Formats: sequence, C-alpha cells, structure tokens
Amino acid sequence: MSKLILTNVSKSYGPTRAFKNGDFALEAGEVHALMGTNGSGKSTLCKIIAGSVKPDTGTVTLDGKQVNINSPQDARALGIGIFYQELSLATNRSIAENILISQVPLQFGLFVNRAALRKRADQYIDLVRDVAGEGFHADAVVANLRSDQRQLVEILKALATEAGILIFDEPTSALDRVQVKRFFEILEKLKGEGRAMIMISHRMDEIFEISDRLTVICDGAIVATRKREETSPKDIVELMVGGRSTLADDDGPQLRTSSIKEDKPLLSVKGMRGAGFQNISFTLKGGEILGLGGLHGQGQSAVLRALFGAAPIHSGELYLKEEIYRAGHQRRAIRKGLAYVSGDRVRDGVIHGRPIQENTVPIHAFRQYLFLTSFGDLSPKLEGALAKLSTKFEALTSSIDSLSGGNQQKVVIARWLIDKPEVLFLDDPTKGIDLAAKADLFALIRELAEEGLGIILYSSEDAELLNNSDRILVFNGGSITRELAGDERTRFNLYDAAYEVAS
Amino acid sequence: MMNTATQTPSAAQRFKALCARFPFLPALIILMLLFALNGFFNANTISARGITGLFSTYLALMFLAVGQSFVVFAGDIDLSAGNILSLVNVFIITMMNASAGDGATTLGIMALGVLVGAGCGLFNGLLIAALRLQPIVATFATSIFFTGIALYVLPVAGMPAPMIYWQTYFASFFGLPFVIYVVALLLVLIFLFSRSKVVLQLLAIGDDKQAAFQSGLPVTATRIKGYVLCGVFASFAAFCLTGDTASGDPLVGSAMTLSSVAAVVLGGSMLSGGFGTQLGSLFGALTIGLIGSLVYFVGTPASWQNFVQGLAILIALMVGILISRRS
Amino acid sequence: MKNLFVMSPSELIKQPLFVAFVLIVILLAVGEILSPGFTSLDQIIRLATVAALLGIVAAGQNLVILGGREGIDLSVGAVVSLSVIVAGNLMDGMNINIPLAFVLTIVTGAFFGFLNGVGVTLLRIPPLVMTLGMLGVIQGLLVVIRQGVPSGVAAPALADFVSEPFVFGLPGILWLWVGIGCFMAWLLRQTLFGLRIYAIGSNEQAAVMAGVPVRTVRIAVYTLSGVFAALAGICLLGYSGASFANVGSQYMLTSIIAVVFGGTSLAGGKGEYTGTMLGAILLVILQSILTTVNIDEFGRQIIFGGTLLVLMVFYGRGKGLRA
Repeated sequence: MSKLILTNVSKSYGPTRAFKNGDFALEAGEVHALMGTNGSGKSTLCKIIAGSVKPDTGTVTLDGKQVNINSPQDARALGIGIFYQELSLATNRSIAENILISQVPLQFGLFVNRAALRKRADQYIDLVRDVAGEGFHADAVVANLRSDQRQLVEILKALATEAGILIFDEPTSALDRVQVKRFFEILEKLKGEGRAMIMISHRMDEIFEISDRLTVICDGAIVATRKREETSPKDIVELMVGGRSTLADDDGPQLRTSSIKEDKPLLSVKGMRGAGFQNISFTLKGGEILGLGGLHGQGQSAVLRALFGAAPIHSGELYLKEEIYRAGHQRRAIRKGLAYVSGDRVRDGVIHGRPIQENTVPIHAFRQYLFLTSFGDLSPKLEGALAKLSTKFEALTSSIDSLSGGNQQKVVIARWLIDKPEVLFLDDPTKGIDLAAKADLFALIRELAEEGLGIILYSSEDAELLNNSDRILVFNGGSITRELAGDERTRFNLYDAAYEVAS
Repeated sequence: MMNTATQTPSAAQRFKALCARFPFLPALIILMLLFALNGFFNANTISARGITGLFSTYLALMFLAVGQSFVVFAGDIDLSAGNILSLVNVFIITMMNASAGDGATTLGIMALGVLVGAGCGLFNGLLIAALRLQPIVATFATSIFFTGIALYVLPVAGMPAPMIYWQTYFASFFGLPFVIYVVALLLVLIFLFSRSKVVLQLLAIGDDKQAAFQSGLPVTATRIKGYVLCGVFASFAAFCLTGDTASGDPLVGSAMTLSSVAAVVLGGSMLSGGFGTQLGSLFGALTIGLIGSLVYFVGTPASWQNFVQGLAILIALMVGILISRRS
Repeated sequence: MKNLFVMSPSELIKQPLFVAFVLIVILLAVGEILSPGFTSLDQIIRLATVAALLGIVAAGQNLVILGGREGIDLSVGAVVSLSVIVAGNLMDGMNINIPLAFVLTIVTGAFFGFLNGVGVTLLRIPPLVMTLGMLGVIQGLLVVIRQGVPSGVAAPALADFVSEPFVFGLPGILWLWVGIGCFMAWLLRQTLFGLRIYAIGSNEQAAVMAGVPVRTVRIAVYTLSGVFAALAGICLLGYSGASFANVGSQYMLTSIIAVVFGGTSLAGGKGEYTGTMLGAILLVILQSILTTVNIDEFGRQIIFGGTLLVLMVFYGRGKGLRA
C-alpha cells in the first residue's frame, strides 16, 4: 500500500492553470524525485500536500485513509514535513527557535524551556555542524547567516518535524558539494527508517544519486513515473521538455545564423566582479544575441541586474559603444539606452492593478521627459509597441491583471520598444509563460537583432538558448566557464558544460 | 571572510553584537543619558523621591507600552489601547463608588476590570485576525466604540476614587513606596513573557506572516491572543492611572495611545513586527517621561516646553531607528 | 473598469464607489426620516461644506496612502490646526492680508510635509513613526504660537468665501472642492507624476526598474499632503471665523477613514480621489445624523464606531493566508 496517494488534484490561479489531473503515489522508504522545468507545477503540488495551498479538486489518501489537509497545521498533525524552496524562516529568530518553531519545548505549558530547546535543536544541528561553516550554532540569528546556512536551517526544520513524509523543494540550490553529500547521507538514513520523501532538484546528477523513482511534470501535468534503474538523464530530459527533440525544437526555427553587421563592440565588460559573480569579461556586438547558459542561479541574473544598475558592481571596466560606462543606477542605464526585462514579472515588471496603458508608457515617458500622459495622443504608439508582440488585450484601459502571464510579460517588454534601446538584457524572460507567447517573443527578439540591437539572453530553458543565441556563455559558480559558438551550440555541450563541475 | 573573522572585533562590532543580544540597549543608553542629564540639572530628580514620582506618573504609560508591544511584535497595532484604559478606569471607579469599598471588593472589581480589558482586546483581535480588517482603521473604529461605552459608564470626568485606593497607591510598605513593588511586578511579568511561547510566536508571525503560517503556527489564534494581552495590560495601566489621578475620566487615555506606540519604537522594536523587547518598551515609556522632566529642568520657557519635548521625542525616535538599523 | 450599468449585483457590491454612493443615499433617507428637513438645500450645503473641509485634508492623505510602503500621514490634523492659527494671526481680520497669509500658510504646510517626506525616504523612518513624531512637534509649536499672541481672526472675505453663496448659490469652498476634485483626477490620470505615484504604490521594485525616481516622488507626495492640510486649515479658519485650540486634530484619523471608505487600499497603488470625496461625504453625513438625532453622546460614539466597523467589512478585507 502506498504511503500517500493524490488523486485527480488540480489547482488554478485565476486564468493560469498551475496543476491539473494530478495522480501521484509515494511509497514508504523511498526518495521520490519530481522533475520538471520552471513553472511546471512541482512546487504547487508540494504545497498542496503540505496544506499551504488549497487544491481546487482532488483527494489525498494517507496510509489508506482519505484525509483533509486544510492547513499546514493539519499537515503537521498528519505527519507531513516540508522544506520550502523560498524558505519559511523567521529571520530575526535564532537557529534553535526556527528549527523547533512549531513544537517549542515548554515549561508549565506557557514558557519556552530554553535548555530543552537548545538541547533538542543541537541534536539536529550536530547533523550538519561540521559542514555548515562558521557561526552556525543554536543561538545564531538567521539574519546573520549565509544563504547556504539558511538552507541548512530549513532542512533541519523539516527534519525536526520527525514526520513520516518529508518534502524537499529544491533543498540543495545554495549548498556546496560537502553539504549536499551530508544531506544525502541523512536522507539515506531516513530511507532506512521507512520514511517517504519527495525531492525536487534541478541538478540531474543529484537526482540520479539519491532518488529511487522519478516523476516528470510538464506544463502542470504528470507525464510519467520511472524507476531510477530503468531510466537515464536523457530519457528524463526528453520527458521534461514534452517530447520535443533534445537537440533543439523541431517545430521551431533551427540554429540561428548571426545577424551581426558591425564589428565594433556595442558593450564590453572586462573583469567585472560583484555579489554572486566574478571575473566576468565579454563583448557584445550590435545585432548579436548573446546567450547566458548554465544551471539556474550561477550568476547569470546577477550579471544582468548589475549591468542595468540594479545591483552594485565591485570592480571591473564597462564600455558602452567604446565609451566608459558607469553602471549603478537604473535611470542612467535607461537614458543610455539599456533595457532590462526580468523573468520575475510579478516582482520586477508588472505594476499591478493599473491599466495596460500605464504599464506600457513609463519608459517612453521617462526617456522623452513627458510631463503629461495624455493617452489619447499616446495610444497609437502604445498599440504599435504592443502589436509588435501580438499582445492580446481588450482595451488599453483594461487592468493588466486581466491578462494571462504571457501577455503581461509582453506588455512589460513593449514598454521598451517605443523608443528603441541599444542593448536589451533579457533575464529569463519566458519564465512561466505559455508556448505561443514564447514564440512571439523570440520572433521579436530576432527581429530586433536584425535591426541592430545587442541582446543578452539568459534563459533557464536550454532549447530557447540554443535556438536563439549566436554564442552561449556558460556560467558556473558565478564565472563564465565555457563559450559555445557555431556548431558547438548543442544541448549535449550545454549540459556538459553546465553539469561538469557543478560546484 | 577569513581575515575579518580572525581579527579582534572592533568596538563597533562588539557593540553591534551586544545590540543583537540585547535589542533594548540603545534605548537603555538614551535613558541613562537622560537620567544623568536630569540629575545634572536638578539633583532631586535622581533622589528616591524623584524616581518614585516619575514611576507613579508614568507607570500607566509603562504598562500600556508593554501591552502595545504584544501586538506590535506581530506587525499589528492597537490604536484603541488608550481608550480601553479609559473604559477600565471609569468602570472600576463607578463600581468602587457603588460598593462597600473594602479591600476584597476592590480586588474583585479590579479582576472584573481585567476581564473588561481582555474583552475589548478579544473584540479587536477577532475583527483584525479573524475578519481580516486593517489594524489601523479597525482599532480606530473600536477606539470610538470603547469611548462610547466609557461615556455611558461615566458621562463626565470627576468621580473620585475611594480613598483606600489612592492611599494605597501612594503608600509605603516595609520602607518602600508601593509603586516600586508595582514596577517590580511589571519587571517580573516582562521577564516571564520574554520566555513565553506566545511572545516567541508573535515575533515569528511579525517576522513573516506567511512563513509562520507555512511552518504550522496558529497565526490567527496567536494574533488574537496578542490583542487580548494588550487589552489586559491596558487594564493594568488603568489601575495605575486611577491610583495616580484618583478619579475617573472617560477620555483620559486617548492621548496615551500614540505615546505608547512611540514608547515601543523608542524601545527598539520594529513597527513592522518580528523584532523587539518589552523591556525596551518600558525604557521607551520612561524616556518619554524623562524627556518631559528634562525639558522642564533645563529651564525651557513654559510655552516652549511642548515643542522642545516633541522635537526631542522625534529626534530620539529617529536616532533609535538609525542606530538599530546599523546593528 | 467595467461600466457600472452592465455589472451583476454581486460585482456591484464589490465596487467601493457604488457602495459609498448607495450608503450616502440610504443615510440621507435615514436622516430625513429621523429629522425632517435633514435633506433641505441649506442642510445639504452645510453638510457639503463640512465634507469639503475633510475632503481637502483627505486629498493629501489619499496621495500619501496611494504612494505605498505603509504610507500614512498622522500629522495632517496638527498641520490643519497650525494653519488655522498661522493664517488667522497673519490675516488679523483684514482682507488685505489674505494673499500673504495664504502663501505663508501653504508654505508652512509644505515645509512640514517636506520634512515628513525626507524622514520617510532619505532616513527611511517608517511613515507612522515619522509623522507621529512630527505630530508631537507641531502640537508643541501650537502652544508656542498661541502663547501671548491673540488668537487669529479670519478676514471677512475668507469667511464669506466659505459660508456665503458664491456662484449658483453655492459657497466658494464647494467650488474649490470641485476644483480640487478635478485637479486630483487630472494629476492622477493625466500626468506622469500621478502615474508614478500609482507605480511606486503598487510595485516599487518594478517602478525602480522602469526609471521612476522613487524618492523624489515620495517626498513630493508628503509635501503635497502638507499643502492640502494647510489649505484645509485656511478654509477651516473661514468656516469657524476664528482659531480655536486643536481644531484640526479630528482630521488625523477621519481623513484616513475617508480614504479607506473611498476604496483606496491602505497597501497603496489602488484607489481614486473621487472615491475619497464620497468617503468624506459619507462620514460627514453619518456624523451629522448622529448629532441631529437626540441621543446622548455615548450613544453617538457607540453607533459611530459600530457603523464604521460594519462598513469596513465591505471594504478591503485582507487576503487569507492559504492560497
């Protein structure tokens, strides 16, 4: 009998379907990996099991009995513990308090038993103490910890629930090799105790090292479950991308041929260092699409944000059209003709609750020193920019929240198209948007490159990079470790470079 | 990383570490400074008599600020705290005047007063945590509501407290003034609450409500508890105020609400929640008191006193926030 | 926004403007039943005048709240009180002094608003703390000014402007309020500045990425709040004829409630001044009914507080914890 069975689970957020028709079974004593591209619905599935997301339909069966999980408290009571990808730590509290926050040892039922709290927390801290680095002790405040240490705290917090079912949603993204090794040793031990575990990771090697079975999710639907012995990374990748070719999209355009016209560099970067990246040097020419590849979070976003002035640069030289360019301020960057589109449109792009026109106009208004925004006169320009991406909308005055994710992102991109920029930074611009919108977006990007724009594209989807870049710089641990150009641009080379020394 | 760690910590770093361990430290330093300045300009203020006087005047604000801390810890606010104080004040005054006036009855009436405070807090908590109204506007509305009830209980100010009540407040026992015992009791309460589960949970909620919920904390119930505790402490504050003023006034507390918020911030707590101590709030209340007396003793012209006091509090608030942000 | 006429009842009830409008009509009917003559033209004009005073203060409060990051201005009431005194003393009952008094009073309000803005943005003091501290400072200043100086008197022209029929039988202050309503609508809908207020209130991070000078906009918003409070103070002087102690303190929280009842979210970035105007009218009618009806003060307060709570359930309840 399976430990946990989900039947017909689905969840939508407004018009966006996060998850549909999920049937999923978890056995005792296994590590069950969930695989899927970004935004495929893995985290939603985990949160439904942990009670923090309410499913629209579906039933959960635990140990053969149907249960209702109406809150994280219910989940805890039923023996389900979870590691949240975005972490669920109280940053001003100590490590010990965080680990045991929902099960603090008490005196007289009212007071925190500090001695017992520390003793119990230490039991868990001891599991990782020697690999956690400096300053990792029961009384350390979480706010002062490094990101890998915070991740360890969240791991210990999940372990401390001593739950029969443990969910780990990307628990290793900030951990180093030694820490991951220790974590896997702990998981092996738990496996021996008969605990059931769900694990999400983007590192294929880790998944194949620790998991017993793998379930692949694609566009919010479970497509297959495989035993580890009976599958291979290649097999899984094929399933993840939904049967599309592993080399590049069959239906999409083939490898791009360069549209570089001038040989003069548009943007050159020499020895740039900042938070999350170091020793970055490259040049970008007009008409070129430069891809940034590698595993998620290896410094690609950090570099783009720093170039746009949204994060500090500690050292290095930058030249824009062969003139020294001082980064550090978004407004200066915009004036100089730099443009930045974030994949996190909810955080960095969309001005929520406001009409589409107000979401399209700000860059134009800023660059043209407009005082009035008389939308009557502006609307042809706005509509023109939106039409370049075939954006679907009812009226310019409709709220941006009435659009699908893909169309919202198109509006955010359209903002940059009214006054054409010189350089366009695309920071994983297709995250969580539908396939049609992606196709429109890449058609536009190619067109812009033809017009002479320099474009830097970071994408967490390798097919997008392979299909659209003239060159690909592969990032690893905050540095550029490999450059792929011409025929080297294959999925194999990209994977090889990204995974070779996954630090 | 390595070389900074091996260096001996500088004075600034050590102060930072101390502040992290004792968040009320900046508040305590400001308080000691004010205390010394007060003593410098008028030695009487640091005599036993002067301190007793300070305590008896500002005990109510101390209790109210400590109560306000419970909700501020969770990122909430209670703009009705002072009005709860007024309500309890007129409630116990009218009850005591209607009763025999012996000690046991008085204590019984005070117990009822605590229930009144707790009930008001429960009402606030249900509106905000369960019905999800905005704390600022909801407690403003309840403040009007509570004032209405207070006016029903006692339409005009002036009903005197029974002699036994205020005489006790100003009496001495075993050579120590009564208010000193009350301060000691408040310190014990603060100590106990600093170790309590509820305060830990309130702070975790204030840190990140969603994270606390996802961690399985009873967020709604805990926030309600915070408001109830705030109401209970407002009733304690009312007992002290009644002792100090020896009369009932249905509007006496409304001006104290914002002072209690200022005291909490002066004490180093973050208004957005998640960080703070109740000892700090107590220091904050005393800071407000000492600023008042210092302004008087340095010889500020009478008409300028409020202005200088307001300016000093604003500066103290800003300095406090800037210091705690540094550390 | 969809046309109000094509909405289903369940959609309509979620439109703050519609709810406020319906409540105003209901309250006027209630007022007429409880006290015949409540809806006579004179009474309506009087109500509108009182609402205009609140509405002008709430205009600044509205901008501050729209600007987000827990934006709130607790010092508006004190600025109103201060402006009444400053304007009154400068006018000293003479029409000729009006221009100077007007300019200096507005500058005073702008000054304190500017200080609030600087504290909130450059020093990053939470708005509640900053404006609370400023409230204390201004209240102290009020004592300083009142001491020894005879309290001010409104110039006759100002009093006429606020109370006497001006154009089409309506007093000037109502025209002023309509003008402010148009100005705010223009500012918020037609200017880049207005667009930027919404942008920083709705998503500050996205605004930064789109080149919005967040600090400048926020300082300007707090400064405008001071200006509107000062303007309301001048009008209040005309309404009451002479200055009294702390006449403005009532506006501190009622201006916030008017904004909330007008459908502006305290989280920022959502709402319009038209709603706030209705919110101000709603509040004033409610208060007026309670003073007209022959009940004790306590009953008035209980009903007022209770009604506010019931109304709040209609408006902007927070999101649940579980997605």
